[in-house]
Amino acid sequence: MTMPGARPATATEPIVEAAIEATGVAVGRGGAPVLAGVDLAVAPGERIALVGANGAGKTTLLRALAGLDRPLSGQLRWAGRPLPAGPDRVRTVGVLLQGEPASRFTVRELVTLGLGLDGPAPAAARRRVDDAIAWAALGGLADRPCQALSGGEAQRALLARAVVAGPRAVVLDEPTNHLDPAGRAMVHALLDRLRGQVAVVIASHELELAASCDRVALLHAGRVAALGPPAEVLTPARLAEALGVQIRRLDDPAGGPPLFRVVAPAGARGSVAAVAPRGAVAPRAGDVAGGAA
Amino acid sequence: MSFARALGSPGSQGGRAITGVVVACAAVGVVAICAGSTGWRWPWAWDAMVGDLRAPRVLLGGLVGAALAAAGVAMQAVLHNELADPYVLGISGGASVAAVASLAVCPGVAPGPAAAVGAGAAAALVRVLARGPHDPTRILLAGVAVGSVLGSATGLLLVLAPDSQLLRSSTSWLFGGLGTPSWSALIAPAAGVAAGIAWLWRHARRIDRLALGADAATALGVAVPALRRQILGIAVVLTAIAVAAAGLVGFVGLIAPHAARRLVGQPHRALIPLASLAGALLVMAADAVARTAFAPRELPVGLVTASLGGPMFLWQLQRGAR
Repeated sequence: MTMPGARPATATEPIVEAAIEATGVAVGRGGAPVLAGVDLAVAPGERIALVGANGAGKTTLLRALAGLDRPLSGQLRWAGRPLPAGPDRVRTVGVLLQGEPASRFTVRELVTLGLGLDGPAPAAARRRVDDAIAWAALGGLADRPCQALSGGEAQRALLARAVVAGPRAVVLDEPTNHLDPAGRAMVHALLDRLRGQVAVVIASHELELAASCDRVALLHAGRVAALGPPAEVLTPARLAEALGVQIRRLDDPAGGPPLFRVVAPAGARGSVAAVAPRGAVAPRAGDVAGGAA
Repeated sequence: MSFARALGSPGSQGGRAITGVVVACAAVGVVAICAGSTGWRWPWAWDAMVGDLRAPRVLLGGLVGAALAAAGVAMQAVLHNELADPYVLGISGGASVAAVASLAVCPGVAPGPAAAVGAGAAAALVRVLARGPHDPTRILLAGVAVGSVLGSATGLLLVLAPDSQLLRSSTSWLFGGLGTPSWSALIAPAAGVAAGIAWLWRHARRIDRLALGADAATALGVAVPALRRQILGIAVVLTAIAVAAAGLVGFVGLIAPHAARRLVGQPHRALIPLASLAGALLVMAADAVARTAFAPRELPVGLVTASLGGPMFLWQLQRGAR
């Protein structure tokens, strides 16, 4: 199913501006920079993950990309323009943040708010809301208050709100945080349906989700330490340096995204076999970096 | 456009709820006009007792209740807290001290205008004390602190007064009282309350988004700081109008929005008119009880709203918990 309001790229479509473009951007809290010198252009339909340790600046950068906070310096553009106000804003960038409390609005009311309308929703807009609710597999819960939803259902409702207006880009802060495996799988499936249609920027600690993106930006030491395809960025050595843990990467022989397993703090010395459970399969050479590398 | 569509409710729940409360308001209004400390009079009599004394008083009660309930909805949306009431910005303390000072200095002058000025000044003081990035908790705490200090000042004025006349004249005001307003005295409050509620209703969909939190509202295209300022300003004006007309009438701004929310949920397109009507209904009913329960003596209406509203609120909470 196509995401409601999506703008699929076509072969005849001319190259357009980046959905979101940061040039020399510094972001921070309280005037103190957390990240500086960020140059990042998110192409239409591209999916990018922001990965880094707690405090590395993922959420701070994401808030700037969402237009919620001004950068300390540098320039941000959305489809080549400053972020517009009013309903045009929700057609430019959709946002899903962490920690929004469940409201008394029903799912349908919540998703309708995603259209950014100050007046009544016309028939076409109501159809778009119905499509977004169906897209998020919440058709049977449309008239249920969000307070009565499970965590996974509530997250899908917020995701539907973020995409209902058909934005060029969506920015998602930890979209799978606190979800059970089934909830994570549902969110992964919804994000896969956006692939190629909407630019997506995801801040996440879930390395499997990051590995499913087109590119990964690894944030470390106040800058974007690496930016590129997941296979080049999510290497054990780089992750050990940026996240402070030894991570074992398990590639999928069928070609799917790899799995990542934390095996020890980066400061730990000695072989991985020494910290792995008895009987664990030893990693292949070069698969683990950090203290044991 | 249908009534339900106009209320922004895709079904007819909002429309049905509002129709029901309108009918209840009309019924209570008629009963309140008929009943009084001098006995029952049918409305078609329309003598001086009914037409000049009871009817304008009932209407004023409705206006005060609607203003307080709408102000409560507005405060709760801005502060993201359903326990915020219209007096939360220290308004009750400011209004009290100004009203008692007015009664002490000019005993023959109605304290309403001074109370409204005091309410506005206290709200402005709270905003100054809680300046900086919007923090509902800091605003609530500043409101509690300012209200407490000004409440103490009110008590000090009453204790230090040379005779007990100030205490007597202040009591009816501090616990709320609708008095005997003339028809002409209703024009200004009616216009102010109608304009304030209409403004809130017109911006209901933006208030919906604001109620989701500042970040979500900003992401959904709302200019949050400006909207907050406007809503708080309207809420303070509505509260000041109510305070000037009837003193401190407690609990209405808390219970009416809560009851309305249980009927129509969160969408402010339905919540604002329904809560306003519920507030009007509550104060009209409370005033009828205040006039008749211990006739010929009259109770302060604020005592009745608190003694009726408190148990009703608890009952609703218990029902919600089951």
